[in-house]
Amino acid sequence: MTRFLLSRAAGAFVVLMAKSFVIFALIGLMPGDPVDLLMNANPDATPEDIAHLRQLYGVDTPIFERYWHWLTAAVHGDFGFSRLQHRPVWDIVIPALGNTIVLTATAFTIATVIAITLGTIAALKRGTWIERAIGLLAYTGISIPAFWLGLMLIYLFAVILGWLPAGGMPRPEEGIRGIFSHLALPVLTLVIVEIGAPTRYARAAMLEVLGQDYIRTARAKGLSSRRLILKHALRNAMIPVVTIIALGMGNLFSGALLTETIFAWRGMGRLILEAIMGNDYNLALVCLLFTTAAILLANILADVAYTKLDPRIGLGGRRK
Amino acid sequence: MSPILQAENLSVRFPAGREGWFGPKREVQAVSNVDLSLFAGETLALVGESGSGKTTFARALLGLVGHSGGTMRFDGADIAAMNRTARQAMRRTVQMVFQDPFGSLDPRLTVASIIAEPLRIHNIGSAATRRERVRALLVQVGLPPDAASRYPHQFSGGQRQRIAIARALAPAPRIIIADEPLSALDVSIQSQILNLMAELRDRAGLSYLLISHDLAAVHHLADRVAAMYLGRVVEVAPRDALFDTPAHPYTRALLDAVPRIGAGKRVPGGALQGDIPSPLAPPPGCAFHPRCPRASSVCAVEAPVLRVLAGAHQAACHHPLEIAA
Amino acid sequence: MSAHAEESVSVWHLRWLRLKRDRAALAGAGLLALLLMASESAPIYEAWQGVSGVDADLLSRFDPATAQHWLGSDDAGRDVFARLLRGGQTSLTIGIMGALGASIVGTLIGSISGYFRGRVDMVLMRFTDFMIALPQLPILIILAALDLTKLGFSSEFIRSGSAGYWRIVVIVTLLGWTGVARLVRASTLALAEREFVLAARAQGAPAWWVLGIHIVPNAITPVIVATTIAMGRVILAESGLSFLGVGIQPPATSWGSMLSNAQELITSAPMLAIWPGLLILVSVVAINFLGDGLQAAFDPRSDPR
Ligand code: SF4
Repeated sequence: MTRFLLSRAAGAFVVLMAKSFVIFALIGLMPGDPVDLLMNANPDATPEDIAHLRQLYGVDTPIFERYWHWLTAAVHGDFGFSRLQHRPVWDIVIPALGNTIVLTATAFTIATVIAITLGTIAALKRGTWIERAIGLLAYTGISIPAFWLGLMLIYLFAVILGWLPAGGMPRPEEGIRGIFSHLALPVLTLVIVEIGAPTRYARAAMLEVLGQDYIRTARAKGLSSRRLILKHALRNAMIPVVTIIALGMGNLFSGALLTETIFAWRGMGRLILEAIMGNDYNLALVCLLFTTAAILLANILADVAYTKLDPRIGLGGRRK
Repeated sequence: MSPILQAENLSVRFPAGREGWFGPKREVQAVSNVDLSLFAGETLALVGESGSGKTTFARALLGLVGHSGGTMRFDGADIAAMNRTARQAMRRTVQMVFQDPFGSLDPRLTVASIIAEPLRIHNIGSAATRRERVRALLVQVGLPPDAASRYPHQFSGGQRQRIAIARALAPAPRIIIADEPLSALDVSIQSQILNLMAELRDRAGLSYLLISHDLAAVHHLADRVAAMYLGRVVEVAPRDALFDTPAHPYTRALLDAVPRIGAGKRVPGGALQGDIPSPLAPPPGCAFHPRCPRASSVCAVEAPVLRVLAGAHQAACHHPLEIAA
Repeated sequence: MSAHAEESVSVWHLRWLRLKRDRAALAGAGLLALLLMASESAPIYEAWQGVSGVDADLLSRFDPATAQHWLGSDDAGRDVFARLLRGGQTSLTIGIMGALGASIVGTLIGSISGYFRGRVDMVLMRFTDFMIALPQLPILIILAALDLTKLGFSSEFIRSGSAGYWRIVVIVTLLGWTGVARLVRASTLALAEREFVLAARAQGAPAWWVLGIHIVPNAITPVIVATTIAMGRVILAESGLSFLGVGIQPPATSWGSMLSNAQELITSAPMLAIWPGLLILVSVVAINFLGDGLQAAFDPRSDPR
C-alpha cells in the first residue's frame, strides 16, 4: 500500500512538474510582458530604466532559465507578487482555495448522493416512466451550459422571487443563514451540471450488477430485494461510479470556474479568470498549479477508493 | 538442388508478461532451433497439434513476427542482410493464404481491390493491366469475372478462400505459404479448394508450405511432411515414408488418431493422451516425454536431436520406431 | 457467417434500420438539421423582413416582439431572431469543425499508437493522459488569450474576422482529441491482429498504407460516435469561452457571446438571455440523443435506452 502510494505520488509529481512548465510557457505567450505593463503605468520611464527592469525581471532570458528561476523561488516558498492586487500571491490564493473547496465539496457530496440514488432508482424501475424521467434529467445536466443555468437561476430566485441573493460572498454579520443563502444557487448550479454523467454510470453499473449470477443466486436463496440491493448490488455498483466522479474532478473545476464567475463567488476559478484576463502572470501560474495538483490528488484518491471498495482489484487497477 | 526458402536454427520468442507484479519477465519459446528447407516445386507440409509453433514459424518466414535467433535464406541469400529492394522482391515471390477466409479479406474493399492490393503495393502494372489481371485470376480460381465489383461478405466461405488464393497468385509468386487453408471450410468445400491448390501448383510450378492438422489433406497434397511439437521439428520425411512408417512416437500418435490413411499398421488406443504442455514451462529433456509411451529415463534428461534414420527420413527421438529402409 | 459479415456494407443497412427505430436519435438528427438550415439562411430572413442581426439601430432598442421583429430587438436595436440565426451559424459550425478536427487528430494519434505499440504507444498515451488531466477550461482561456504575434503570426491576420473563428476551432481541437484517440487506439489494437492486416503486412506494405487502407476505415464506427459526442462538448466549450469574453469577438457573434451581452441586462431584458441559452441546450441535447442512438445502432450489445 505504502509502496503503491509512493509510486503514484512520484508519478503525479513528475506530471505536475511537466505541467508547471507547460503552463509557464503558455503564460509567457500571453499579451505583453511584465515590463511593458509597468511602463504603461509610468510614462516618464527612460530607455535605461526599461533595460534595467527587463534585466531585473529576466524577460529576455531563455524560457528554461526563467522557469528555473521561478521554480527555485517557488520551492523556497516564494510564489511572487500579484500584479493586480499588490500582495503576495500566497495570501490571495489560500482564501480563494478555501472558498472553492467549500463550494465544490458541498456540490460534489450532494451530486454524488443524488446521482447514486437516481441511478439506482432508474435501474430498479427499468422500462418505466420514472427511468425515462431520470434519463432526461441526466441528459439535461450533461447538455446545459453551466453559466446559462446560473443566469436562469439568478433570474428566477433573485430577480423574480427575491428569495436568494444574486451572488457575492456571505458577510460575517449574516451568520450561518447568510452562508446557506449565498451557497444555495451556486451549489444548485454545479449539482445540476455535474449530476448527469454519474447518474448514467450508476444506472449502468447497477443494471450490470443486478444481472450478475451471484445476485440471481442470492435472490433465488430468498434474500429480500431491499436488503439485497443495499448489501450486495449497491456496493459493487458504486465502484465504477466513485471512480468516474473522482476522475471528473477536472470537469467539476471547469464548472466551478463558470459558476464562480456568474455568482461572484471569490474562489479559485474566478481568481484564475481575473488573473489571466488582467495579465497577472504570477497569480495565474500559481492558481493553475494548485488546481492541477488538486486534480491529480483526486485521481490518486479515486484509485485508492477503487481498490478499497473492490478487494478483487489489486492496487494499480489490475484484476486478480 | 538448392532450397529456395530455408530456415537454419530458427527460434522465435515472445514476451509473456511478468510473473506477478515485479517478478521476472517471462518468455515463450514458440519456435526452437528449427531447420527446414523448401525446394522448388515441392509441397512441404507442417503437421502438429495447435500450439506446436507451426503458424508462428510461417509468420516468422514472412517477417510478420521477429525471430530471436537463426537465419532465414531466400534463394541462398540471408534475408536479414537484404536491402529494401531485394526484400520487396522476395515478398512478391512468397505469398500467404490464411486460415480464416472471413478474417483475411478486408470487409470494406471490393474483391478487385483485394486481389489487386499486392500488385499496387509492389507497383506492378497500370490500373488497366491490373484490372485485366484481376479478371484473369478470378477465372483461374473458378470465380465469375463479375465478382470483381462485389464485397467479400457476398461470398461463401469457399468462394472467399478462392479470392484469397487469387490474391496470393496475383504477383506471380514462386512460393505460397498456406496456413490451415481448409480448416475454416465445410467438408464438402475442402476437397474443391484442395483440388484447386493442386491444379495451380502443377500449372504454375508453385512450391507450397502447407500448414495443416488435416492429415488427409496433407496426404493428398504434400511431397514431404514435417511434424512439429512444442516449437521443435520432431520428424521430417517424404510423405509415404512418414505415413507408412513414422519413426517418432509423436507422429505415430498423430496418425493413430486418424485411421485409414497410409498403409502403416494401427495400434488401437494409441492416440495422444493428455494435453500439450504449456510452452511457458516446456518439460526438460525430450519435450514429448510426459506423453510418450516409449519414454525412458534418458528422455527426461537429454533432448534428442534431429538425425537421419534412412535417406531423407529424419527424426528427433532416442528410441525411434522401426522404419522401412 | 453473420458474425463476420458484421462490418460489411450490409451492416450499414442494419445500423440504419436500428437507428430508424430510435425515435430520440431521429428527433435529434432532425432538430440539428433544422437548426443548421435555419441558421444558414440568416441573410435570407434578414432581407425578407428588412431587419438586421448585425447593424445597430438605435431608434428601435428593446423593441417588443412584432411581426417585423419576431423576437423583438436587443440593446443595440438588432433583430433578436436574426441575431440568433447568425449566432447559431457560428456556434454550430464551430461545433462541427472542432469535432472534426478533434477526430482527425485523435484518429491519427490513436491509430499510430495502437499500430506501432511499444515505446511509441507509451509516449503517446502518457501524452494523452497528460492532456486529459489538465484543468480544461483555464487552459482554454489561456489559449484563447495567447498573443499570437509571439508565435510569429502577422497582426493583420490576427485582427481579421476569420482568425478569431479559427483560433477557437484550433483550441477546441487541441483539447478535444483525447477521447477519440483512446477509442481508435483500442480498435487499432484489435484490428492489427486481423488476418487482412497481416496479409497486407506480409506484402511489405508500409505503415501508412496499412493504417490508411485497412485500419482507419475499419475503425470508423467509434470515430463517428466519438465525433458526434465531441460536437456537443465543443459547442459547450465555445459558448463558455465566448461568454467569458475570450471566444468569438464582436462584430462576429455566437450564442455564447450573445449571453455574455445579456448577462447585465438580466433584470430588464431577460429574454435576451433566455433564447441563446435555450438554443445551446436544445442543440446539445439533440447531439447527445443522436450520439447515443448511433452508439446503440453501431454496437448491438450496448444497452438500448
Ligand atoms: S525421445 Fe523418448 S520421450 Fe521423446 S519421443 Fe523419443 S522415446 Fe518418446
